[in-house]
Amino acid sequence: MDTLIRNCEKLSKHQNSSSTKTLLSISQAIEALQTARNNISSGSTPNTDDLVQAKQQVEKAQRQSDEHIRELYTNVSKYGKHVEKAFKLDLSTVGESKAFEDKRDELGYAILQHFLREGDFILAGEFARENKLDLPQDTKTKFEQMYGIVSKIRAEQHQLEDAIQWTVERREELDIQGNTGLEFTLHRLRFLQLVENGQATDALEYARLWFPRYSKDPGRMDEIKHLMGIFIYAKRLQSSPYAHLFTDQRWEQGARMFAAAFCASMGLAAMSPLGVTIDAGASALPVVCKVSGLMRDRKVEWSQQNELAVEVPLPDSMHFHSVFVCPVSKEQATPDNPPMAMPCGHVVCKASLEKLAHGVRPGTVAFGRFKCPYCPVMSSMADAKKVYF
Amino acid sequence: MDKINIDNMLAIEEPFIKVPLEQLRRAVRHTQKQVERETEAVSAEMAEILKSQYRLAPEELQSKLDGLIERLQTLRQDLERVTQEESQLIQRSKLRAADLHKLKGFESTTQPEFQHWCRQRLDRVLIDYMLRSGNLNTAQRLVESGSLEHFADTSLFAQVMSIESELKDAHSCQGALSWCAENRGALRKIQCSLEFELRLQEYVEMIRAKNTPAAILYAKKHLSPWSDTQMPRIQRAMTLLAFSPSTSCPPYKAMFDEARWTGLANEFRMVIFQLYNLPAQPLLHLLLQTGLSALKTFACLSEDPAEHNRNCPVCQTETLGKLAQDLPLSHHDNSNLVCRITGEKMDEDNPPMRLPNGYVYSLSSLTEMSATLDGKVKCPRSGKTFKLSEATKLFIS
Repeated sequence: MDTLIRNCEKLSKHQNSSSTKTLLSISQAIEALQTARNNISSGSTPNTDDLVQAKQQVEKAQRQSDEHIRELYTNVSKYGKHVEKAFKLDLSTVGESKAFEDKRDELGYAILQHFLREGDFILAGEFARENKLDLPQDTKTKFEQMYGIVSKIRAEQHQLEDAIQWTVERREELDIQGNTGLEFTLHRLRFLQLVENGQATDALEYARLWFPRYSKDPGRMDEIKHLMGIFIYAKRLQSSPYAHLFTDQRWEQGARMFAAAFCASMGLAAMSPLGVTIDAGASALPVVCKVSGLMRDRKVEWSQQNELAVEVPLPDSMHFHSVFVCPVSKEQATPDNPPMAMPCGHVVCKASLEKLAHGVRPGTVAFGRFKCPYCPVMSSMADAKKVYF
Repeated sequence: MDKINIDNMLAIEEPFIKVPLEQLRRAVRHTQKQVERETEAVSAEMAEILKSQYRLAPEELQSKLDGLIERLQTLRQDLERVTQEESQLIQRSKLRAADLHKLKGFESTTQPEFQHWCRQRLDRVLIDYMLRSGNLNTAQRLVESGSLEHFADTSLFAQVMSIESELKDAHSCQGALSWCAENRGALRKIQCSLEFELRLQEYVEMIRAKNTPAAILYAKKHLSPWSDTQMPRIQRAMTLLAFSPSTSCPPYKAMFDEARWTGLANEFRMVIFQLYNLPAQPLLHLLLQTGLSALKTFACLSEDPAEHNRNCPVCQTETLGKLAQDLPLSHHDNSNLVCRITGEKMDEDNPPMRLPNGYVYSLSSLTEMSATLDGKVKCPRSGKTFKLSEATKLFIS
């Protein structure tokens, strides 16, 4: 890419000089013509020199501008070659999928959800109108509520009351979800805010009101004890050991944490599903493209297969379901071919187990018993237990 | 797996970089032709004037020269405008390349700056989709809110839509034909017969208007140049003269069909996209299709809502789930286990533990749970309680 940037700069210089020169030669031609015209006075013979001069200038303008523009075109082509080198993928090999035919509305709703989730309610309304979609009112209301609270956290005054109230009201629900961090984070933010504003007494009262409920949690108590020391430095926070607690990002982090908890409580995804899919697609598309390019000769269209031909590497944050691949058969586990655990703890799929069991000759002492492929422990079909990931 | 694969990220951005380049190429070509034409004309006239200078009255001479001056002045004005456009297109190319160059500076997918870049890419892809579908207000808003003027090809799509609407609504081939004339060389390279189709349609309209003599002249002038590649269709076109617009004979009825205008508009769109290196399907479609496939698992298809993960896009049954219906499942060469409680990976560092009822959770989540439940754990899926010691470790090679 930096090659391209450099070439753009070169091209820009060329274009500048080429156009300046072209305009100049045309201006000169115009001037010569104007001189010739102005020197014609009625009743006298025409001034041949002027006319010849004008003709020469016009021809010069013709030659020069042609030359300059050709040069510019050559330079543009050179830049074009650099661009060609930078991109080798042919997207047309994956462009024939019919998977989205007749699904325009579903796609519209997916986009609409995304706009609502991002808090862009006017945009959502505009998009719904342009596509004659119904704005899903309850989703809109939920997100409006969320943004009401989140924008207060993000605003200049950083108001936390609504967020704290919402969180306290749903204490039990959050505990079940395993989310005990949110309430404490919000209380800590408020506590620090009060100290920062010089309201030491209020801060102390706030601590007395909200911190005791963490008395059974040793980790939290350590942090609280550390926090309480802040009163010594109340007048010179920036130079205190507590300065690192007062970063600008803390509000954004708090807002995000709240948004994630809010979405979880509403059964909504933490991140925009559309955004996650596009990011997954950015990894998947080049991979599918390359493979499709190879499959082209066999007239096999990628989207009509049951399964993708290759694995698309995705970051851990995009693994939402467990996928078990049998280490023996390399097949994915399905409801009909579930993963089974042998007593040693190794897991293979049922089909592989059956193959292992039937590999032993009937009538021998060891009938139906087999050794685990990965360790010396013996097992049988009956010993293997189903596993639900 | 948090590293960023830059080559893959860049691979899909070809149209992003190529469109301003193509626009620039055409602008320079257009200038070249215009300058050639005008300077040649002025030059020829000057030669004429010199030859006949003694036969012309001074006023005549003056007015001829005035004409030439005006012509060159108009040319200069046009050039000044085009120069601006060219320089903007180069600037745009540079800004886009610079945006892609930013990728080199990111280290991991979890970096906030990278995530911000991805959000911008999503906006770009959405703007492209909106422009293609004619949702201009939405596109405009997205451009403004993200300050993405240089990353959106608004002018190109405006041109596409104006010619399309001229074809579809006004039933006129004028704009399309002048576009074909400007791009004849490129169209010939891809062996495109759009110009022929447009000429044919104008011919059909003349017959529809019962203007037979004009139709025949038109065919002589505009259809016969295509005789080496389109002879059978030209012959059919000539036969059309014998039929009336309300005919029911199938091949000729099809030629009179008003729906052909929409067909022409679609073909124009396809051709201009091809010339500008834009994919036929919007990039949004391509990214969503491959993305959904890469995320789709058996669990997403399950009728049991307990199998669905609220964070998984494919499990959004009403919207993305429906879009993913006909798409392939993801392929995996290796196991990838995710704890149902925390959503975290289960591997040697955080091994999967099997409870006596068969359900599996990560060691870390069970340990944390047992700390609050007095050494016991409660399976979220079945509701049964067990002792932590009853969980057995599993080994996934």
